Parts: sequence; structure tokens; C-alpha cells
Amino acid sequence: MRLKDVIDSPCGLRFMLDQLELQSGYARRWLLEMPLLTNERDILAAYAVLRRFALFVEQVDHTQLNTLLFKLQCLKDIRTTIQNLKQRATLDDIEMFEVKHLAILATDVAALLRNHGMDGVVHIPDLNQVIAILDPDGMKIATFYIYDSYCQELRDLRTEMRQHPDQQEELLVQASELERGVRDDLSRQLHPYATAIEQAQEALARIDANIAKARQVQELGLCFPTLADNDTTTYQGLFHPQVKAVLTAQGKTFQPIDIAFGLQPTLITGANMGGKTVVLKTVTLCQLLAQFAFGLPATSAVVAVKDEVRLCMGDDQSVEKGLSSFAAEMKNIDAVIQASRTGCRLLALIDEPARTTNPVEGTALVSALLRILAHTRMSLLMTTHYDVEPAQAHCLRVKGFVDGAMDYSLVEVRDGEVPHEALRIAESLGIDSQWINQARALLANNHKPT
Amino acid sequence: MSIIADILKYESLSIVGLEKNTGKTECLKYVLARLPLDHKRVAVTSIGIDGESTDQVTRTQKPEIVLREGMYFGTSEMHYRQRRLVSELIDVSDVTTSLGRVVTARALTGGKILLSGPSSGVSLQRWMGEMRRHGIDLVIIDGALSRMSLASPAVSQSMILATGAAYSANMTTLVQKTAFVVELINLPLADEPLRSQLLPHEKGVWWTDSEGALHEMNGVTSLSQDIHFQGMEQCATLYVAGALVDRFLEKVRQHPQLKHAELVVRDFTKIFVSPQQFRLFTKSGGRVSVLQKSKLIAVTVNPTSPSGYVLDSERLCGKLSEAIGLPVYDLLKTQACV
Repeated sequence: MRLKDVIDSPCGLRFMLDQLELQSGYARRWLLEMPLLTNERDILAAYAVLRRFALFVEQVDHTQLNTLLFKLQCLKDIRTTIQNLKQRATLDDIEMFEVKHLAILATDVAALLRNHGMDGVVHIPDLNQVIAILDPDGMKIATFYIYDSYCQELRDLRTEMRQHPDQQEELLVQASELERGVRDDLSRQLHPYATAIEQAQEALARIDANIAKARQVQELGLCFPTLADNDTTTYQGLFHPQVKAVLTAQGKTFQPIDIAFGLQPTLITGANMGGKTVVLKTVTLCQLLAQFAFGLPATSAVVAVKDEVRLCMGDDQSVEKGLSSFAAEMKNIDAVIQASRTGCRLLALIDEPARTTNPVEGTALVSALLRILAHTRMSLLMTTHYDVEPAQAHCLRVKGFVDGAMDYSLVEVRDGEVPHEALRIAESLGIDSQWINQARALLANNHKPT
Repeated sequence: MSIIADILKYESLSIVGLEKNTGKTECLKYVLARLPLDHKRVAVTSIGIDGESTDQVTRTQKPEIVLREGMYFGTSEMHYRQRRLVSELIDVSDVTTSLGRVVTARALTGGKILLSGPSSGVSLQRWMGEMRRHGIDLVIIDGALSRMSLASPAVSQSMILATGAAYSANMTTLVQKTAFVVELINLPLADEPLRSQLLPHEKGVWWTDSEGALHEMNGVTSLSQDIHFQGMEQCATLYVAGALVDRFLEKVRQHPQLKHAELVVRDFTKIFVSPQQFRLFTKSGGRVSVLQKSKLIAVTVNPTSPSGYVLDSERLCGKLSEAIGLPVYDLLKTQACV
């Protein structure tokens, strides 16, 4: 699974990517191609690099950072050219210009980073040989043509061209033959460096991405996770950056959440508008961010690495595929069950399963789902409004209405009993009082709506 | 000749032809051949790809430009590969055209090149900015005047307009039609800060009230069939970001509340109204201004039409010059009538 496969997950990953101030389009493409890291060692290595860049961004002065960023803006995507070089094709002038431009850029960036003790944090291959091939006069400027210095005969022809413009057309034909020879020769000389050039291009994208991530850590107040040595993930002060931004714009604050979960299923109950869905989205977001080595929106995070992350939201857009909302949801949850049987490390987050069907069958479906999944080695977070049998689940409840205001923090409860606050919340929204009172009267007469 | 001296007063020049075969390329060749390169760095490009890509279909050869040693030029990858001169690559941009990316190079010998540069307004302006960074003193834009091209030549500081028998073979009509375009090119710039306020908006119809606050007319373009100007009693300026057409202008003219409003368009290339409709509008007190304007330096004429019809060059230059109050040149004869 690559970043581009999950970028539009409803958890809000795109927001994080859009907030990144990447300098080059190539770095964005490179980042989108990045696979989900499922190996602890790879994740630790990626964060070690990011931590170094976070420190660098903190300490370096503005002018020097801007110089580096300006350089990174010049990074171009020359994968096609590199591919041609690998296949021993003869490069044309434009392609050679691209190679030279990249080689000089890589050398410049390496020198800038070396000045700040950052050499080796991201390995940039030495391309001085490449520059030497494409810069026979040692000008160190990123421009290119088939220089006179490559071939004495070519130099003579061009001199003649300037002296006899009337013979230019003929002389150009002769010159183009010579130029072709030079290009063949240069391409042969460059071929052994194709891999190094490719690595340099990737290294520059990696540097661009890391600086952007490091600046995001600073700006959004993110943290670096540690990896769990057991199966328990623990977040403190968790927040959803996008929801927080929306609330801040409205003059409101996002109440941070503390949550821990392991392999035992976690059942989250709570009133409507209590932020249960946001909890699931944020946990999903954090798991993905951790395994793509971004800063995490929390004050502290201990993350258990997963092979697969599945978020099932009721309002899936599969309706467009012709499925009813119930059918789409069942299919999604079925996929979770199948995945849980493969034995892979799975994190599944299921938002109010079976919410669109009748409460009797809905409750049965959710209770049964909980029982089945409790016996697998997956991590499961599930929200529901149904009074389900909690089985071996760990039960959390959104605190809900306290002194007339919503408290979004999670408290542990012994069973999964759901709060009955829907009427109070509806009342606080100013919903028609006749309706609410009628419902209240029905409840009092023991006509439980469920 | 004074035309060159006039050009050198500005940092950018666009050469615009009113029709194919009005001598735009001749004019460009004329200018390029005479610029003093010893103390001026000159870059040249074309924005005519969209407008002239039909040449790719009809297989008629696009004219080649002769560059002199030391000139910079921006063209597409495809045309760069077909160059008939020695040149040094300076930049390969991310801007792509139908013929590949736009590359910039410096001519190391004189020779021929096909020009096909940036084809959108944004990319043209970015390219011009890059040229400034390379220390270029004068940017010349081969500016096809086409409804197909998204890039407007009006981003340049100065302009030369090429007209001729290909635009109309009747001398009186030719003079009238050209004079109308000149009138549009010479429309006044909108005042600041209004200009900076409107420039970022490239779509839609907008208006400002007497307080200077900007409002968008939701869901309306200047081409919309039914436009209602309700609730716009306080309208001080009405801005059309897209094309200004007869129907829209007529609506504005007939609307009592907009009588004192100033009509603002992006630049003269966005005006597609008939001279009659435009005249009616200005005669009834309407005012039109633009956000981007080039100083028209001169008009050139090509008295020969592609069908072979030839107008009297001297009379044409004289009549036209009299009508527009600007020097008019027949570059093949290279004599100015003022």
C-alpha cells in the first residue's frame, strides 16, 4: 500500500499532505509513491532522519534555510532521462542539460547540508565525475551545449560558421554529424553513473520531504512517536489537525483525547455529537502518519506497528457503485473479517456498524461481530449506539453532557451500556419541543423506542 | 530609425498581427535584425502555439525566425531539437505546451529557429520573470492575437501592431477597423487600488460599490443569457474578467443604474464588441478601462494580401497615420509616415 492509495481516506490524510510545504513537484510525487512502512527498523530509521531535520529547521537561520529551499525548488523530475541513460540510449542536449542541472544541484545541496553538520543524514552520491563530463571548461554553471572543447574539428566548423554565415546551412549539417558523435561518447561516459544520478534525485526529494515534515511538526505542534514493544498503542493529547483548524476558525477549541488500545476490542459509546467518529478518524490518521513517518498530532504517542489499517465509515461513497449504504457497509466489514483471518497485524476502526437497519437485528449483528473479532489478533475500535453485549471488550464512553456543555474526553466504563442523552442534546439544539416532549412521554410510559 | 529607439525604452515588447499575413513575422525579423546587441540582452518567444497549431495540421510551414548571436529565446522542446543554429541551454521549465516543455537557450551563432513558447498567461509571466533574473533587458513576444491563445500580449510594456490588406482589402474599411483596434489598445488603465483589487480575479463578473467593496455576481459570466443587475444601485465599477461581447455591453448601456458605472475589462484582447455597439456605449457616457495595457509604439502595414491584391502603400500609411495619430511603417519600404 502506497501513500497515494490511502491519500483520500476519510481519516483526513490529504489535509496533512496539503499542509506540507514541499518545494518541488517531484518530491510530492516521490512522497505519494512511498510504501506504508511495516517494518519497525525502517520506521525508526525514517524518524531518526526526521528528528535530525527537525533540529536543523529549529536551529538554522532563516536566510540559510531559504537558500536551501530555493535550491530544492529547482529539483526536476528527470526519471525518463535516467531511464534512457540506464538503457544505454544516446541522450540529446536537453537530457544532458537535465543531468548536469541535477548533478550541480545535488552537489550544491550536499555542500549546504555539510556546512550544518548534516552530511550523511541523507546520503547524496558524489556526482562530481558527472559534472566533469558535462562541464569540460569547468564553468560550474548549469547550462549546456555540445561545447567546442569536446572536439577540435567542431570548434573549427563553428568558427567557420561565424565567418561565413552564407555557408551556415552546409556547415550545420557537418557539425551535426560531429555533435552526434560527441553525444554518443558522452552518453557512454555517463552510463555508469545512471544509478548514482537516480539516487541523487531521490535523495533530494527525501530532503525536501523531510524539511517539509519537520516544519509541519513545528507549525502544527506535532510529536514523534516511539514504537510499542508490546501490542498496545497509547496516545496522549490526541487531536485531529483538520477538525482543530475548523474549530479554531470558529473560535472554538479542540479538546485533546487520551486513548490506549491493544489487541482486546475497544467499544466506544457515547452521546450523539460526542466526537466518537472523530476519535476513530484521528486514530486511523495517526497510525498512517506513523507508518509514513510524519509528525503525529498528539503530545505523546506509543504506536504498535500494523500491516494493515482499515477504516469503515457508514457514509461510504460506495453508493455510487450502486450498493445501498447497508450493503456497502456489510461488504467493508466483511473485508475486515477476512483480513483478520490472514493473521496479519490489523487495525480496524468501525464506525457505528449496522446503523441503518432495525435496532433489533442491528444489535445482534454488532454483538456477534464483537464476539467474532475478539478472538483474533487484531486491534479493533468500534463505536455504536446499540446496547450490545460487551463480550471481552474494553469499553470507553465519551463523557458527554456535563453542566450543560459537551465534554469530549473518554472515560472507562465497565460495560457497554449506552448513555441516553439523545433527547437532551436534541433539546439543546432547539428542536421542536412538542416532538421532544412526546418522545419523553413515550419513554416514561415504558414504550422504549429501541 | 526611431522605431528601434522607441522599443529600447521598454523592458518588453509584443508584436501583434491583426490577421495572418499582415506582416507580423516581417516586423519581428525587422526588429531583431536591428537591435543593438552589444549593450542589450534580448530574449524572444512566441505565444502563438494555440492560435497557430493549425499549421501542424495543414502542414504549412510556420515561419522561421533568424536570431543573431547572443540572443536568448524560449521555444518548445520539439522546435528546439529542430534548431538551425548553435545554442546553449539555460533552462528547461516545467511549463508544457502541445509541443513539449518550454526551453530557454542562448544563441551562440546566428541562425534559424521556430518559436513556440508559453501558451498561458501565468506561464508567460513566469517566463518573463525568469528572463529578468537572467539579466535580460528586453523581452520580445511574438504575440498572435487569437481567441484561442490564453496568453495575452497585453502583459508587455510596449506593442507594435501589424495590419494590412489581409485584414481588409478595402482601404477605408482597413483604416477604420485598424483604428478601432488602436482605440481599444489605447483605453486608459483603471485607477489604483482598483486595479490591484481586480487583477487576481480571472473569471466571472464583479462589481464594486461606492465604498469600494468588491462583490461577485454569482453564477454569471459575461456570456450568460440572462443577466440581471438587481441590488446594484451603488455600483461604481463593473468588471468583466472574461470576454466582453455585444449583448453584455448593450445590457449595461440600457440599465439606468449602471449609467455612471465604469466598465473594466482585463485587457484589449478581451473585447469582442462591434465598433457600432462600442460607439453607442461611449457616446451615451459609458467609460471603459483596462487592467493591463501596453504602450502602442507603432503600427506596421503589409499592403499585399495573400490573394495578391495590393493597396497603395503610401496612401495607406498616410491615411492610417492620420486616423490614429501614430507612426505607420511599411517595413518592406521602411519609410515612416507621421
